[in-house]
Amino acid sequence: MVFFKRKPVKTVLVCCGTGCLANNSLEVYEGLKKRIEGAGVRARIRPVTKATGCNGLCERGPIVKIQPDDIFYCGVKAADVDEIFERSVLNDEIITRLLYRDTSTGERVKSHRETEFYKRQYKIALRNIGEIDPASIDDYMERDGYRALKKVLTSMSPQEVMAEIEKSGLRGRGGAGFPTGVKWKQCERVEALPKYVVCNGDEGDPGAFMDRSIMEGDPHSVIEGMLICAYAIGAEKGFIYIRDEYALAIKNMTTALEEARKRGFLGQNILQKGLNFDIEIVRGGGAFVCGESTALMASIEGRVGEPRVKYIRSVERGLWDKPTVLNNVETWANVPVIINRGAQWFRSIGTEGSPGTKVFSLVGKVKNTGLIEVPMGITLREIIFSIGGGIPRGREFKAVQTGGPSGGCIPKELLDLPVDFDSLTESGSMMGSGGMIVMDDTTCMVEVARYYLQFLAEESCGKCVPCREGIKQMLGILEDICAGRGREGDIDLLLDIGATLQEASLCGLGKTAPNPVLSTIRYFREEYEEHIRNKYCPAGVCKELTEFYIDIDACRGCGLCEQKCPVGAISGERRRTYTIDGTKCIKCGQCREACRFGAIKNRGRRHEDNH
Amino acid sequence: MKITIDGQKYEAQYGEYILDVARRNNIFIPTLCHLEALPGQGNCRLCIVEVLEGKRRRVVVSCSYPVKGEIEVLTNSERIRKMRKNIVRLLAAAAPDSDFMKELQKEYGLQGEERFQVTRGEDCILCGLCVRACEELGIYAISTVNRGITKKVSTPFTEPSEVCIGCGACAYVCPTGSIKVKEEGGKREIWGKTFALLPCPSCGKYFITREELEYVQAKTGLAPEKILCEKCRQEQAGRKMGDVFKDIAMK
Repeated sequence: MVFFKRKPVKTVLVCCGTGCLANNSLEVYEGLKKRIEGAGVRARIRPVTKATGCNGLCERGPIVKIQPDDIFYCGVKAADVDEIFERSVLNDEIITRLLYRDTSTGERVKSHRETEFYKRQYKIALRNIGEIDPASIDDYMERDGYRALKKVLTSMSPQEVMAEIEKSGLRGRGGAGFPTGVKWKQCERVEALPKYVVCNGDEGDPGAFMDRSIMEGDPHSVIEGMLICAYAIGAEKGFIYIRDEYALAIKNMTTALEEARKRGFLGQNILQKGLNFDIEIVRGGGAFVCGESTALMASIEGRVGEPRVKYIRSVERGLWDKPTVLNNVETWANVPVIINRGAQWFRSIGTEGSPGTKVFSLVGKVKNTGLIEVPMGITLREIIFSIGGGIPRGREFKAVQTGGPSGGCIPKELLDLPVDFDSLTESGSMMGSGGMIVMDDTTCMVEVARYYLQFLAEESCGKCVPCREGIKQMLGILEDICAGRGREGDIDLLLDIGATLQEASLCGLGKTAPNPVLSTIRYFREEYEEHIRNKYCPAGVCKELTEFYIDIDACRGCGLCEQKCPVGAISGERRRTYTIDGTKCIKCGQCREACRFGAIKNRGRRHEDNH
Repeated sequence: MKITIDGQKYEAQYGEYILDVARRNNIFIPTLCHLEALPGQGNCRLCIVEVLEGKRRRVVVSCSYPVKGEIEVLTNSERIRKMRKNIVRLLAAAAPDSDFMKELQKEYGLQGEERFQVTRGEDCILCGLCVRACEELGIYAISTVNRGITKKVSTPFTEPSEVCIGCGACAYVCPTGSIKVKEEGGKREIWGKTFALLPCPSCGKYFITREELEYVQAKTGLAPEKILCEKCRQEQAGRKMGDVFKDIAMK
């Protein structure tokens, strides 16, 4: 008897995430869909929301993946549709020119999984992203979706569920790292009813987009996580707070909720097991402070988004003064996997104190930027140099900023620091929601601190004095230092006011707001001193304290700097040398960026002390 | 239960705020945004104290920290004094011309500000009492708007409020006198809205807006002729008191 091995059905996945959509991936999707359907080929095509940059590769979007061969094409244009269809869908050929070129090896690779970037990652929260159509509940269910819910409803008591989560050691991925299982238990113990389950999707850190990616790409995992919590603590109502700027996240989440209701995963008597639970989406107005749990709840209630004192915690008196469990998107997405695979398995990943993985958005001066999910305990060095591919243009690593605007800057001496909640806090930074901004030697740390304080001055809710007035004054002093008006004693004053903010502010925003200043003073104090005493910005960033010049020994006379200079301040002769006219130069630094020989250097400007 | 404040033991109820326990026992903790009628805002942070609970030592605001166990409280440690001084210094830079802030500055041994950016022309320290007062009356005419360094107290869209009754409670509770009320010729102007004033049925002095009169009537059920100005109300109360004493004396 002869068995014919059936050729597997091909699945073509076209990324329709925000990043790829912006690069016309919809045209690619429509084009491929028409070809496949028109030809009556046995292949499936699905639009897939893939997190923008989730593999660091979306900067090269639109991305098309062909399964089961795991072919990964990037930078696909509508003009490539015919060729992809002919060669890779109808036949099994690979179009080399569309493959991704690995930044570390320079070679084209067939699957993104073969890249250095992907190899060190471990996906739990992002497990489905880029693999499923977020609009299809079947896609989610095919990959174990709602199996954890069935498991808890049929074979686990609420106590067992909470014990399992507690045993797993899962800690809040929104940044504070509070043990999730403990939070649920505390809420369950409170006798008041009703109880609420809230998902914090008010991701506000500039450059962070992990929560958006999950809500856009795998909304059901959040819903399932919340359902499991609702069962455990006895809640009947949930809210997902999403900032209104996240239009696609809101759309996909809305579809997911509808689908879940249709299949009986939400509503009354869920899976005939007596659980009643439904979820409502609340759209936030985009205030950074509304990511703070009590401000978020105030906002859901329709009040001004201001935090309240937390001496009585939300698990006792949260939303409408009722017991509330609030967790972040990424935390919720972890829950179903822990239930399915067990606390023991989860604990085997990551570190003793911080089990599991963490999603980071790796951005800044690093070759591969994007979303990464790595086991806790991985070192910063591995993240930046192995996954991130190191610093571009051969420049030197200077610092990495973690934890969003109120995080801190970690210097190169601490590159071997394991990344987990406790080590980061100890270093004067924090985990935050997982922003990670890499800086090279052309970054001025005083200016970085000034930049973040500017952000916080605008985003502080302004309710309590230390945060509102303290940030304002610290910012003023930093502006002075950057402009050459720094005074002796400024550093101590910044430390003093910073300490008051940390202790006396009302909420987490104010308490962590001085971090960018305090951590840069801690690790880069001499840079502050150079600014204040010698009126010199070593990185050549602060315009008032910088003068660019061309090192004639290094200059090869290529003339690139002259071409790049936007104000015509550079002149000279080809193959000899060039000079910069200081009176015309606006210190934009473009010549330094462009120079291939490192010939453009910076020095201080002599300033009269204007005390 | 007993809690320790600055080394002395005092009786406290479960859930009672530290500030209330302290005030009851004549322990002074400075406050700015706290009024007995409008407690527990936690905005100004001047009432910070240190709480020692087991191994934990933390800074909390006494106006809204509920006593839940036998804690030890330090109201005036060096750490606290330093932070309070910073808070006063920060506030003074925001409202340098306010007498209220000048007084506080003196109290904390602060001289003229030399390093901070001083903003003149605005005495509001955003303590939030005015907004709270308006909310408690159930009017909701003013609110804090914007956030961060642009935060201020305002009517909706800085237009004259439709619901404002011109009672002036906001101005009454303001510690720095930054809410301007203009009263002349039987008219009162507040928050950009002008109200006609009605005379006191007893002395004839203009004292209340029509809207406020209606509000008081609805709240108390009093007839309009029974609603008197503050002075007449006090006199009336005094007379009543006098009558009572007379009665007692006659008996």
